[in-house]
Amino acid sequence: MDFKVLDGARRNAGPLQVDLVEAYASGRLSRRNFVKRGTVLGLSVPFMSTIIAACGSDAKTTPTTAAATAGSTAGSTGATTATTAGAAGTPVKGGNLKIASQTPSGPLDPVAMADLGSYGIVAQSFEFLCALGDGDIAPGLALSWSPNTDGSVWTFKLRTGVKWQNSASGAFTADDVVATMERLVAAKNAGLNGVLAAGGCVAKDPSTVEFTLTAANGLFPYLVSVYNAQTVITPKAYATGTAFEASPDGTGPWKLTKYDKSTGATFVPNTDWWGGSVFLDQVDWVFSDDISTQVSGVVGGATDAIVQFAAVGGDALLNSSDFTVINSRTANHREIWMRCDKGQFTDKRVRQAFALCLDRDLMNQQLFKGTADIGNDHPIAPVYPYFDDSVPQRKKDIEGAKKLLAAAGVTSLKAVLNAPKLQEIPELAVLVQNAAKDIGWDLTLNIESTDTFYNEWCLTYDPICDGGQEFGIVDYGHRATPDVYLNAAYATGTWNSAHYKSDDFNAAFKEYQAALDVDGHKAACKKLETIANEDVPYAIPYFYPSLAAVSKKFTGVRVSALGQMFVDTAGKVS
Amino acid sequence: MARYLLKRLLLAIVTLWILATIVFVIVNVLPGNVGRQVLGGFASEQSVKDFNHRIGTDKPLLVQYGRAMRNLFTLDFGKSYSSTARVTTILGKDLFRSMKLAVMALLITVPLGILAGRFAARRKDRLADRAIVMTGLATSSIPEFVTAALLSYLLCIKFHLFHVYADPPDGTSVIGQFRYLFLPAMAMVIVYFGYIARMTRAGVANSLESDYTRTATMKGLSNTRVMNRHIMRNALAPTITVIGVQVGYLFGGIVGVEKVFNYHGIGLEMLTAIKNHDIPVLQAAVLVIGIIYMLSTLVADLLIAYLNPRVLMEVKR
Repeated sequence: MDFKVLDGARRNAGPLQVDLVEAYASGRLSRRNFVKRGTVLGLSVPFMSTIIAACGSDAKTTPTTAAATAGSTAGSTGATTATTAGAAGTPVKGGNLKIASQTPSGPLDPVAMADLGSYGIVAQSFEFLCALGDGDIAPGLALSWSPNTDGSVWTFKLRTGVKWQNSASGAFTADDVVATMERLVAAKNAGLNGVLAAGGCVAKDPSTVEFTLTAANGLFPYLVSVYNAQTVITPKAYATGTAFEASPDGTGPWKLTKYDKSTGATFVPNTDWWGGSVFLDQVDWVFSDDISTQVSGVVGGATDAIVQFAAVGGDALLNSSDFTVINSRTANHREIWMRCDKGQFTDKRVRQAFALCLDRDLMNQQLFKGTADIGNDHPIAPVYPYFDDSVPQRKKDIEGAKKLLAAAGVTSLKAVLNAPKLQEIPELAVLVQNAAKDIGWDLTLNIESTDTFYNEWCLTYDPICDGGQEFGIVDYGHRATPDVYLNAAYATGTWNSAHYKSDDFNAAFKEYQAALDVDGHKAACKKLETIANEDVPYAIPYFYPSLAAVSKKFTGVRVSALGQMFVDTAGKVS
Repeated sequence: MARYLLKRLLLAIVTLWILATIVFVIVNVLPGNVGRQVLGGFASEQSVKDFNHRIGTDKPLLVQYGRAMRNLFTLDFGKSYSSTARVTTILGKDLFRSMKLAVMALLITVPLGILAGRFAARRKDRLADRAIVMTGLATSSIPEFVTAALLSYLLCIKFHLFHVYADPPDGTSVIGQFRYLFLPAMAMVIVYFGYIARMTRAGVANSLESDYTRTATMKGLSNTRVMNRHIMRNALAPTITVIGVQVGYLFGGIVGVEKVFNYHGIGLEMLTAIKNHDIPVLQAAVLVIGIIYMLSTLVADLLIAYLNPRVLMEVKR
């Protein structure tokens, strides 16, 4: 341990950054998580390398930036996964890459888009302040960022010399960032809502913006990163409702030259990109609504990569030696809600008994071929750096469940399990139905179309999206931080299908929100996990991964945990 | 002939109006808020209201109906809800794609089916006849999407003989496009070959036993002349009717094949429009398919009238 270097670092860093250095130096934080958190807090790569060296790390690698990730091999990392895939080898100049993707559901309005098909296309031309890095976020249109002492004000230094593809938009400046943020705040962007208010983002000079948040937030950079897909920076004049396909623009590596919502999109290199030249001559996105058609297309050679596919039905890719399968661990999960305020599930012991009857390993095997993380009835996924594994894992225990039911005076239970017809959820419902038979429950399944389940239920039963039902399954996609799950599903009530209310949980959530250091987040998360696991308003059996695949003829394709595919470093293998 | 044509055209217009009304009723009377369905469950109430106002679904049903009828007769369906493109632009491309596939399937199926039917009828109840009839029955009973999936797996994925996606890249030559479309066309040929062959066989077999055939043969005409001038002219009427109906079906009803080969024709567009609640596209697509059905049956009827002038005589009476 080189204390002299550490002391120097302490003098040159802010309070949040010093806390991070202390956590790493004392061994409370792994190197990977130090790099992740350091990137979020705006520590530079040389600074982090110095700290790692000073702490006597035997690290073989050093922190990397986005630009340095090309060619690294596939692997699985954390919640904020950036996975680079493809064969080992150096990419060569030239060639076309064809990517199979979900058809975008509507016009490509960067502010309003809400599906993976749209995210992937828009992010080829438009860029984020914080881009996809190797293991976490990395400098994008922002070169660096730093918080004030309590994390309530964040200053972002912007890249200079960046041009918009449409010459009428001029050069990229802080005004573009401010206008974009105003549009997102007005549209109540899910990530920024309640964090940033109108007028909260101001330009200090053409290459500096300052965000004054409604409250301290140590994880703010994630909210203006690739993990909040709508926060792509658009030109100042790019009004809400402008569709990308009708007004192509951007600062990124690819220019849209053709877009047909039915069939696909074509991109060619942006020769003015600040990041330099790309390897490929052209990238074609081939749309299809059907995952099995997309899988057939990749296996049959019609496309070279697939943005996302499911383990069930994806054997042809999972078992093929011609493809690199990118298995990104995520926080994607399903919540099986049980109403806590009225009905048959008000007694905590009944909910615990239900959770004990679930065979989570079986679900993982049957639904995801063993690729998922087992859940423990709380929404903090193992992929998050502040996940605490000391809370005992709940396992199938029929005898224990029966004892709990006997203690609660429940001899038999009949209920309707409601669920949307989405991905593997109908199969999960059947597994739940079968598992519940072991404790004498008679469950009837009510599987609705997603339209009915979400649009009608949410509309009719606003603000609680539960359709007035006491028992059901709802899906949650990946988030860079678990705030949305903790807030909406457990604490505030808008998505709180279980009608769960716990002062202890709310207090722990406040602790979590207020925490700005690693130890604070971990300690709060342990409390949240323990309370959620004990009260079981939701049984959460697994966190399933995002699967993508790339032909081994290509290297350098990067995929985020959200499922966006980036090909700025991709090329054909020499 | 002109009177016959006029009568058919008037009937077609009335049918289209009924079809458009049915589509309008289905779309508008069923429960659900269009704005909410398009924008999703998490859109704000204000956004939903604005959207409904913009597209006019907040207006009284009669006003909406009037607009739908105007759209029908001016063939202007406005813009798609789920993209910025005009409905006519979207459907124009889709229709062209469907047309290429349907024409290719018809060009293979019709001559093949008619020849096989004729061949079987002349060998009625012999091994060749039974083989053709049984094969036709067997292939017709398999849904086209199953045939398509099997062909795709075997010939595209397993042996890499054809393209797994049927949509050729821009700039592909006509011969190249043929290679892309061959397999999806074959999936339809396998299914429809049986219908046409059996229909032709029945017609030819009946004609072969008729008095006019016997008279023509007795007159000393050659077998080929009897077959072409007398038997086929009379025997093809039911076959032509079947082909007429199938043309409409091939344009709009081959969603399964289009899905398997990721070929974005009008059938797949309709499916996507239903999923996205893209009402203008859905209405226009249904009407386009309706028009194609009517046109193809009209052409079929005219062809039957040409081949058998007694049809016109019946109209005159």
